[in-house]
Amino acid sequence: MTDRRRINGPVGATFPPVFVYEGEDAVKETKKTRSRPPNAIRKMYLKTGVTPSASGSAYLEIETSAKGSGSGLKLSCTVHGPRSLPRSTPFSPHIILSTHVKYAPFATRQRRGYLRDSTERDLGTHLETALRGAIIADRWPKSGVDIIISIIEGDQDRESSKAEGDESWDMMNALSGCITVASAALADAGIDCVDTVAGGVAALVRNAADDSVSNIVIDPVPSEHEKILAACCIAYLPTRDEVTNLWFKGDLGASDMELYTSLVEKGIQASKYANRVLVECLGETVG
Amino acid sequence: MSSQHVLLSPAELSYLHASLSLQPLPLRPDGRSPTQFRPLVAETGILPGTNGSARICFADGTEAIVGVKAEVERTVQPFTQDTQTTQDEGETPAEDERRKEEVGGSDWVEMTVEIPGYRDDDPTTVFLGQMLQEALLADGEFTKRLRINGRFHWKIYLDILLISPPLSYPLPLLSLTTHLALLSARLPRLKSEGDEDPLFDDDWAASTYVYPRDNNKKDGKDGNNKVVARPPVTLLVMAVGNNIIFDPAREELAVADVALAVSVGEETTTTTTQTGGDDDVDMEEGSTPGKRRLRLLSVRTIDPPSRLTPPGVPNATNTAYTAPTGTAEAKTQDGARTLETERVEGVWKAPRGGAKVMVMAALVAKVLEKGGVADEVLDGLEAVDLG
Repeated sequence: MTDRRRINGPVGATFPPVFVYEGEDAVKETKKTRSRPPNAIRKMYLKTGVTPSASGSAYLEIETSAKGSGSGLKLSCTVHGPRSLPRSTPFSPHIILSTHVKYAPFATRQRRGYLRDSTERDLGTHLETALRGAIIADRWPKSGVDIIISIIEGDQDRESSKAEGDESWDMMNALSGCITVASAALADAGIDCVDTVAGGVAALVRNAADDSVSNIVIDPVPSEHEKILAACCIAYLPTRDEVTNLWFKGDLGASDMELYTSLVEKGIQASKYANRVLVECLGETVG
Repeated sequence: MSSQHVLLSPAELSYLHASLSLQPLPLRPDGRSPTQFRPLVAETGILPGTNGSARICFADGTEAIVGVKAEVERTVQPFTQDTQTTQDEGETPAEDERRKEEVGGSDWVEMTVEIPGYRDDDPTTVFLGQMLQEALLADGEFTKRLRINGRFHWKIYLDILLISPPLSYPLPLLSLTTHLALLSARLPRLKSEGDEDPLFDDDWAASTYVYPRDNNKKDGKDGNNKVVARPPVTLLVMAVGNNIIFDPAREELAVADVALAVSVGEETTTTTTQTGGDDDVDMEEGSTPGKRRLRLLSVRTIDPPSRLTPPGVPNATNTAYTAPTGTAEAKTQDGARTLETERVEGVWKAPRGGAKVMVMAALVAKVLEKGGVADEVLDGLEAVDLG
């Protein structure tokens, strides 16, 4: 299915070249390293009720990692519903959840089209899994709710030309942001949940090219590390101590099960931090 | 999957859940043991127009075909700092070569899943496709094999077709079929050298396997040549109560507490073009059952359809049965909240919330266990005649 009804940008677009100004030293300096401690997440701004026409909405912004250009992750989520299903839909004893995640065409370095591509649909499915566990679905039979997230700005470093192939890891960060913002918007819409669910990411990284030591960091920024070996995104319900969505990707030996376990634990930790922001934000709205 | 309705009544669901959570061993509707797969029929090389193909038919009647097609594509050379500096420095060609070899784009593989009755942009279809693709690309070994030279690469199109209606969650079937199709995939032999425009041998008999084999070793009874490396397999595993169940059928998945898709690869200690004593020893180890070194490539939570099942009504609140009608009004008003806390034995209620971390870890550990199911599946697939 192609997008034929809109005037789209040219297909064969190229990136503007990045020039090296002052020789080798300048290149070395511009290479970013992580300045935060390994168990700290980036600063986060969350606000609910930003879209008056929707039943619930929230806006999330994560502190930028790039120097100069202020481009952190910016997400806007609207919740429409619960509303009755169209007549043609068969009976459902539960609320029917539909999630849409869409990158704005200008959100990433590579321009995105207006139609959702497979990675965006995939993100939507992950988000649905994460939220379905949290929502008390049987309180709204025969109804549906739409959760729409637009990623206004992706968390990508525009200055760096080296960041090729980081997109797959960026997806994890985007998903954790989506989970947190959707949870805030659901609470704003007054839809009953068992708990506020928040997303967190942990990654196993290698900082130097020929370094065999790898360590675990939470809330990773791909451009700050030499190589990401594995990453895991967790949606966690703190009061029930339960995980509604787990997504692990990478390459780990079967003998490294401890690494996997600690990766999941760190993911949960990141999710707990995000949840603290979420709870505080919801408290502000109520109080 | 979410729209896929299981036509089971709450009473049936409750019965099924109880029998699947029996200790010490669950009682499955089809009498399998918890780690047993459904019997299957597999064949490869069925489509003459493809580079590699496979067909698997499960005993319950679900059947899938996978075709692998390859095209030569020009590698996009991004204008980056990296290329700039390497040229300036005049780095050794070997270093340059190594760096190039490391790069393999994730867009070199295109995977499409077709399931009858589903649109191609349906979330289920997209999710399945992404999951299989993610596992294949996870270790970065596969894209390295597709490199022809500095300027060209193979683009692989994997077309996965489920022929039968999806009687059960088709993930294991599609994954196993893809595995076999990739193992049987062959590419024409390259005749040109270095960075010239690629020229290929038109003798198909001289073509090379994408996953190379050792010509000196025969594999058991079928006389297959030993495969050095293998593509990943994705297994579906679920937990009901304290039991871990592999390859669930549709009815079993309908009462799952948690379901995970775990992708497992096999560690390759040997490089793609190896000839040497050490490597042979390594492969010997790899081929012995239970000695295989597995790698965890991806884990995804599958939204269990059990969350969408209709709940049962306990007798205490059923006005048609014994519950007094007079107080029903008051009860339902207040009841919504109290109903949720109690869980009546034998009355089905869709699970709510997530899964405990320990349960999820146990599922993954069970898959990766030495001599466990993943080993068994890979052994089973090894026995398939690759033609």
